[in-house]
Amino acid sequence: MTRATSTDPRSWRGTAKHHQNQQPFRPSTYSDLFLPFSINRNMATDPIDSALDLLRRLNPKDVKKNVDHLIELNPDLTEDLLESVDIPLSVKKCSKTKRDFLCCDYNRDGDSWRSPWSNEFEPPVEEGEGVVPSERIRKMEIRANEAFDVYRELYFEGGISSVYLWDMDDGFAGCVLLKKAVSPTPKSSGSWDSIHVFDAQDRARTAHYKLTSTVILSLGTDSEALGGMDLSGNMVRQVEQDMAVDDDTSHVANIGKMVEDMELKMRNLLQEVYFGKAKDVVGDLRSIPPLSQTNRDRATQKEMISSIGR
Amino acid sequence: MSRTAALSSFVESAPPGELADVTKAIKSILGDDSSVQGDLTPAFEKYNEEQFATVKLPGGSGEVLISEYNNLGDGRYYDVESQSSFAFDHATQKSSGVQSYVLESSHSDLVKSLVKSLSIHTSEHYPKSSLGVYPTEDDSQLAIITVANKYSPSNYWNGRWRSQYIFSPSSGSLTGTIKVDVHYYEDGNVRLLTNKAINVSVGAGAGASEIVRQIANAEKRYQEDLNKAFGSLSEGAFKSLRRQLPITRQKIEWEKISGYRLGQDIGGGRSR
Repeated sequence: MTRATSTDPRSWRGTAKHHQNQQPFRPSTYSDLFLPFSINRNMATDPIDSALDLLRRLNPKDVKKNVDHLIELNPDLTEDLLESVDIPLSVKKCSKTKRDFLCCDYNRDGDSWRSPWSNEFEPPVEEGEGVVPSERIRKMEIRANEAFDVYRELYFEGGISSVYLWDMDDGFAGCVLLKKAVSPTPKSSGSWDSIHVFDAQDRARTAHYKLTSTVILSLGTDSEALGGMDLSGNMVRQVEQDMAVDDDTSHVANIGKMVEDMELKMRNLLQEVYFGKAKDVVGDLRSIPPLSQTNRDRATQKEMISSIGR
Repeated sequence: MSRTAALSSFVESAPPGELADVTKAIKSILGDDSSVQGDLTPAFEKYNEEQFATVKLPGGSGEVLISEYNNLGDGRYYDVESQSSFAFDHATQKSSGVQSYVLESSHSDLVKSLVKSLSIHTSEHYPKSSLGVYPTEDDSQLAIITVANKYSPSNYWNGRWRSQYIFSPSSGSLTGTIKVDVHYYEDGNVRLLTNKAINVSVGAGAGASEIVRQIANAEKRYQEDLNKAFGSLSEGAFKSLRRQLPITRQKIEWEKISGYRLGQDIGGGRSR
């Protein structure tokens, strides 16, 4: 099976997720995600590559709408698009525990989503339908949900978290989801969605982890003085790591550390891109001080530097 | 939604300088389909006129812009400064068939002096830009347009600043919008889109230099406000979404995570 990669070898998008077999939330061929980019590079005009390239260009705020349009235009792309494109997470309430949980393709079965708190589907699925993790993996999933609930409170001071795990032949895989929305003033708002997808391959006393993380960050203000300003998008990063494993508790700790490090890195990156790069580009388009003055200053500076050098 | 509407919405949200990439992707997604071009043509025209697409005229030096205000019909547009009209291909964004064109307007003197004053202003504040001044609404008003692009696809970013004003010589009102569009797409897809309404009273019978002075003021103030807004979004919404470190300023001790008690050990995030 080939995996569509984005036309840009530097971009992780398109390799970010997995292919699925039959059961929609049980990736069985996760390992072929990490094929070297060069293998698929000459498939640039594959329609799925083009669709991913298009989504990387169009307004990221409209990603859900655009995915729907693409599916209408080319229904063959449906599965690949739903698997490879991250859209903001939706929220459901667990009727058993009354707690909110997050929905994505990984806890979905048809039109139902499994709650990490009760292990039951909302709305309920037919008797015998809806795949749940094995007993061992579910135990780990419960622990991971407790751990990331603490993580969520420490870093997000609010919001919602959900962790889903599933069995794999040589280990297990899962995703850690976090979501928070704020409106610090009536005129500004923001939302953060983290989607961390990983797999863990068991080895002797260690495990090999692969993590693909997407953060969808939307910020906006609207006021008479400033007018409308929307700063939205997503960034994707991947990392692989071997870590020591004593028992299943170590897995939760290891994944916790990887996700914590990754989010710290991504938060810094987002800060740089959203508030540094975007602002710099505006400054490249238009200069507040007159350019003749800027150019004069530069020439003077150059002269000074060359006179020092002499 | 119809196929044409879906395709038009893609074209409409093409980032600065990426229309050709968007078109290429659309064609690949739809496969070998000769009707695509026909579906896209009206969207291209709308995009080029709204985004003030720029084009170099054969034999000309700078780039001239495309808008609804200098549209002569039959795919032809005119430029005041070079006193010429030209055919514009909306799909390829190329010009051809340049002819001389003399503007007929009761405000042609004001148009010419506005072009001159505006050129001085833009060359002082935009490293690279195109501008146009065109009579509109049956010669009762003047459209004043500036567009500045900077494309850096090798560094995965592109940007566009658009200013558009309508000056009414009889009332002296100057209304318009400033729009900034920045796309950053290295390992992701980040977009800045802004829209600011401008409403200034310049005074009836105002001359070109006064009109341009007011435009310059409005744009300077807006850019300063926008710069401040980056700071307040960073300090406000962004910070309140996710902390850089927990309130303890320490990373989590994952081995001891089951010992953390919400609301106690972690600084009372929930009790606030």
